[in-house]
Amino acid sequence: MRVKHTLWDKLTWTWAPATDREAGDSVVRNLLLHWFPAKVTKASLSWGYSFWLGTISALLFGLLTLTGMILMFLYIPSVERAYASVKDIEFVVSFGWYLRAVHRLCAHLMVGVVFLHMVRVFLTGAYRNGVAVQQNRPLNWIIGVGLLLCTLLLSFTGYLLPWDQLAYWAITVGTNIASAAPLVGEQMRFFLLGGSTIDQNTLIRFYVLHCFFLPVVVLLLFAWHMWRIRKDHGLASADRVAREQKRSAVPVKTKTYSLLGVTRGRTVHVEASLVDEIAETVPSSPNLTMRLLVVTLATLIVVSLLAIVVPTPLEEPANPRVTPNPAKAPWYFLWLQELVTDTTVHIGGFTINGAFVGGILVPGLIVAALVIWPYLDRSPVSAVGVWFAAARRRQNMVFLLCVAAVIVLTIIGTFLRGPYWNFYWPWESWPETPKPF
Amino acid sequence: MKNLRLFRKPASHVDSHAQPSPELAGSPAPTRRSLLEKAGIGALLASVTGIGYACVRSLVPNVLYEQSRRFKAGPPDAFPQGATFIEEQRVFIVREQNTFHAISAVCTHLGCTVKMVNLNQPKTVAIGGKPTQVDREFHCPCHGSKYYGDGTNYAGPAPRSLAWCKLEIAPDDGSLVVDLAQDVRKDFRLTV
Repeated sequence: MRVKHTLWDKLTWTWAPATDREAGDSVVRNLLLHWFPAKVTKASLSWGYSFWLGTISALLFGLLTLTGMILMFLYIPSVERAYASVKDIEFVVSFGWYLRAVHRLCAHLMVGVVFLHMVRVFLTGAYRNGVAVQQNRPLNWIIGVGLLLCTLLLSFTGYLLPWDQLAYWAITVGTNIASAAPLVGEQMRFFLLGGSTIDQNTLIRFYVLHCFFLPVVVLLLFAWHMWRIRKDHGLASADRVAREQKRSAVPVKTKTYSLLGVTRGRTVHVEASLVDEIAETVPSSPNLTMRLLVVTLATLIVVSLLAIVVPTPLEEPANPRVTPNPAKAPWYFLWLQELVTDTTVHIGGFTINGAFVGGILVPGLIVAALVIWPYLDRSPVSAVGVWFAAARRRQNMVFLLCVAAVIVLTIIGTFLRGPYWNFYWPWESWPETPKPF
Repeated sequence: MKNLRLFRKPASHVDSHAQPSPELAGSPAPTRRSLLEKAGIGALLASVTGIGYACVRSLVPNVLYEQSRRFKAGPPDAFPQGATFIEEQRVFIVREQNTFHAISAVCTHLGCTVKMVNLNQPKTVAIGGKPTQVDREFHCPCHGSKYYGDGTNYAGPAPRSLAWCKLEIAPDDGSLVVDLAQDVRKDFRLTV
């Protein structure tokens, strides 16, 4: 091992190990690296397999935490002062506009990236167990669904905080959707609002949910998500490599640590040795860590630049008396807004509110389907960790159709809806809306 | 609970001849130890439940510092013929000669405030099978629900008509009192 003389050496050697032995040692000795395995398959490091979407989500969450903590020093969660404090952040505080822009952009990007991450995992069949023992990838998929829901809830609770018109009416619609739930709906709305109207109680509740409760849940789920990846022996592409190697029957360097007669079945190491370590794996440090830093850098550059060019709007102060026309949710909820618009069902004299069908029933069924899907999937192991595997063609198509439906509804809500939620083509001008009376 | 043996008695203290070993018997006989275990677990669960309940219950407010749902809207003479919108309370007061009624402006779909649209030409529509002339409508900006002037929903996702609220005359100063918490039928009229 290299003799570490200077402080600089001591701080940096784990990031640039000189030998394989140092590389193995580095993940043990460096707190930041200890959650990585000593070696990773090259297939897992591929840019084109995972697009590193999970990593980007985690980085965005990190940026959100950092900027969010600073914004907490500057924001005042009171109905009288919230709007003014956000205005101060925007126009008075040095770099306040920038922090707010980064925070808002990261939130938008995180919704998109987490969603794409889920799409990637589905299309590669990566929520299924592969060849290694003691995998439980379906569980990790469910944790991922939980993280997606938390991301959406974080966005929802976050955009109430500026206490502008968008905030006020989004929360009106959102909590009324909750009240459409059978039996407990009204109580749920009362509990969420902390009363029967949107007021100080509501703001402080959403503030605490946004700044403490939900981030802690995300952190716990994130830790569990990462721990499961280790338990599942890495990404599903590693299973693919192991399988291909098994098929080619090339003698691989074996490493048998199985405790025959002591433990049941084969130990992890026997299965892991299916991967020809010399040919297929590389030390995590620096191969994984350098890529991680590259992804970090790229994310930072994209977010920083976008924060400069993308405006961060602040609507008029919340006014319970006037609903904006049209009143639109942020883009990632517009498919839901479109859904609650289109799903009121009249059967004879009986009416089911779209708030229930589109706001609770359909989203509930979607989440339920996502949760149980890994247990219904009967595709062969050969499809695990493979993009667009032929054996998964039909279910991939169904999934993509659902994704397309969400995207189409989002596009309709974003671009094709005008005053009174009427349909307008982009080239049609909106009529003048009636004056306030 | 069988595995939860925090402190195991040293083997020498157990008189194996006096009573059969619990492992050999079909169901272990209750001992002081098992009773204490169960009591301990019960106390733990009870205290966690108690603290949990206190946490959740404290978030359900006992007192609401909200505006009253029953309020004075002003003297009846102050209202012009037709519909007047009272912004703060989100309600329309409709005056037809000497009769008054109040229609809530809260959309029955998801609670946005509907906007009144005065029609250029009155039109005759069938409401509840009866041809009725309407000269105004209410449209919701959030999801496009549409209501006739009497609050009957006819388009969009609204599941039912706008609520009609109770109107009274205040005994002290004769002003109109609107009670948003009390719904009334659509034939309700307050004659002044």
